[in-house]
Amino acid sequence: MADLLDSPYLILVLLILGALGFALVPLGLAALWARCFSPAKPGLIKNATYECGLESKGDAWVQFHVQYYLYAIIFLIFDVETIFLLPFAVSFLQLPPGAFVAMMIFLLLLVEGLVWAWQKGVLRWK
Amino acid sequence: MSPALDHINLSSIPRVSTPEEIKVRIEAAVPGAKLTLVRQASPCGQHSLLVDHAHAVAVARFLRDDPQLRLDHVTNMAGVDWPDAVVKTKVKKMVLKEGKEVEVEETIEALRSGYLEAVYHLYSMALKHGPVILRLRTENRSDKVSVPSLTPVWRGAEFQEREAYDLYGILFAGHPDLRRILMWDEFTDHPMRKDYVEPDDYEYEPTPHDVLVDKARRHPAAGGQA
Amino acid sequence: MDEGLRSELQKQGIFTTTLEEIYNWGRKNSVWPLGFGLACCAIEMIAASMSRWDLARFGAEVFRPSPRQADLMIVAGTVTKKMAPQVVRLYNQMPEPKYVIAMGACAISGGPFKQGYNVLKGIDRYIPVDVHIPGCPPRPEALLHAFITLQRKITEQQLTGPNRPRHLRRDAPSEFPIPEYGAHDLVPPSHPGLWRPPGLVR
Repeated sequence: MADLLDSPYLILVLLILGALGFALVPLGLAALWARCFSPAKPGLIKNATYECGLESKGDAWVQFHVQYYLYAIIFLIFDVETIFLLPFAVSFLQLPPGAFVAMMIFLLLLVEGLVWAWQKGVLRWK
Repeated sequence: MSPALDHINLSSIPRVSTPEEIKVRIEAAVPGAKLTLVRQASPCGQHSLLVDHAHAVAVARFLRDDPQLRLDHVTNMAGVDWPDAVVKTKVKKMVLKEGKEVEVEETIEALRSGYLEAVYHLYSMALKHGPVILRLRTENRSDKVSVPSLTPVWRGAEFQEREAYDLYGILFAGHPDLRRILMWDEFTDHPMRKDYVEPDDYEYEPTPHDVLVDKARRHPAAGGQA
Repeated sequence: MDEGLRSELQKQGIFTTTLEEIYNWGRKNSVWPLGFGLACCAIEMIAASMSRWDLARFGAEVFRPSPRQADLMIVAGTVTKKMAPQVVRLYNQMPEPKYVIAMGACAISGGPFKQGYNVLKGIDRYIPVDVHIPGCPPRPEALLHAFITLQRKITEQQLTGPNRPRHLRRDAPSEFPIPEYGAHDLVPPSHPGLWRPPGLVR
């Protein structure tokens, strides 16, 4: 017992208990208040998901046009490209010429992809 | 004004302003179009052109594309309800009276069956003139209430035609999306028609007047039968 | 505790209160309105919440975008028949205790559109209204007055007893029936338990 009281962690345990009490006592009081005075009245309309006054219609699983995916893929490619470009630009002066050539080839491949998509008419919105 | 028009001197464009001149031009451009000039007797003098259904879209397209008119803008598309009415016309007549010829005015009454009208007010943004007024008329007010839609010609007429359909019940053939716009979809009446009976759902002011006196007497709030 | 002892204690710097009083005091100073406007009255409502009239003085500056977090519905403007079911549904989604201020001539009676075919003749046909403000539109001062009136009403609500307010009674309804779109009018045209056509004396 004396060991326990001497333990340096005792104060920590007390603090945790205090923190728990600080959080739980108001919650318990609120629950008690609701039980004694203010009854909960759930209802179908009250518990409805959508809260803009309108009734929700249809399914959340809406089908999107397939062109959105092509746009998304092209966007993603160039998004990744900028992530690679930034460190390349920062350390540009320290890089050997081979790294520069490699980066240009990487960019060329991406631009080639863009030209191909352009040719296919992906960027033209119908 | 569009940049392509900047080099054109506006004053050099001949203005075709009167409805009579426009009527002549339309009849020359759209063969077979039956146009009637509807005169407006009031001081504003905004005469309008009544167009037949078969040529309405062609006439509208001519008015929009003709380089002298270029009516590219529908400011207003209104519905009008003309219920069945007795039309009185006064005719002067020579009558033999006591051996003398006397001029007597005689009133002739004729029954005109009702119809609905769609009225388009057209302006030209490019040439800055207007309005030119087009009318389309339905055959009657009950079952033949269709007129051709001019939305394919002027996109701006889309919502206004929907409103005319909602409030007057004019059906626009060729309209891309003819639904009610102001009232809910389950609503079956057309409130702007003259014979519309509104729901009797309001209490009346303490001092009703005009048509409301009789209505107020019938209201349950006053102890009458609704 | 009688009032004499209470004021005597107050002179000594000791303040006493009851559970009911402190409960109502807390509630009346944190009434959060639902942020929605229907017509021109909403502009006055916005003005009332801004710095010149400063609704925040009464603890009501937090206009909530969701009915789940709101205590007060200010029906500010014309309620068309097409909009009425949505307003009633929003009211139903608010948690108890909830209050309604009908602001302006349209919301209390249909106003200038009273004889029209498409305007609801007062939102009190479907939901219980606590304070009505006339005016077209009412000045922000009128809204403040309505708000203070509502606060007074909250202060006087009892925790127990037969006169306790709706939200403390288990059997009282929290949801009100939503009208449906009919072929000629809303069905039903009014909530019969809430609203009766007023008698006229001529």
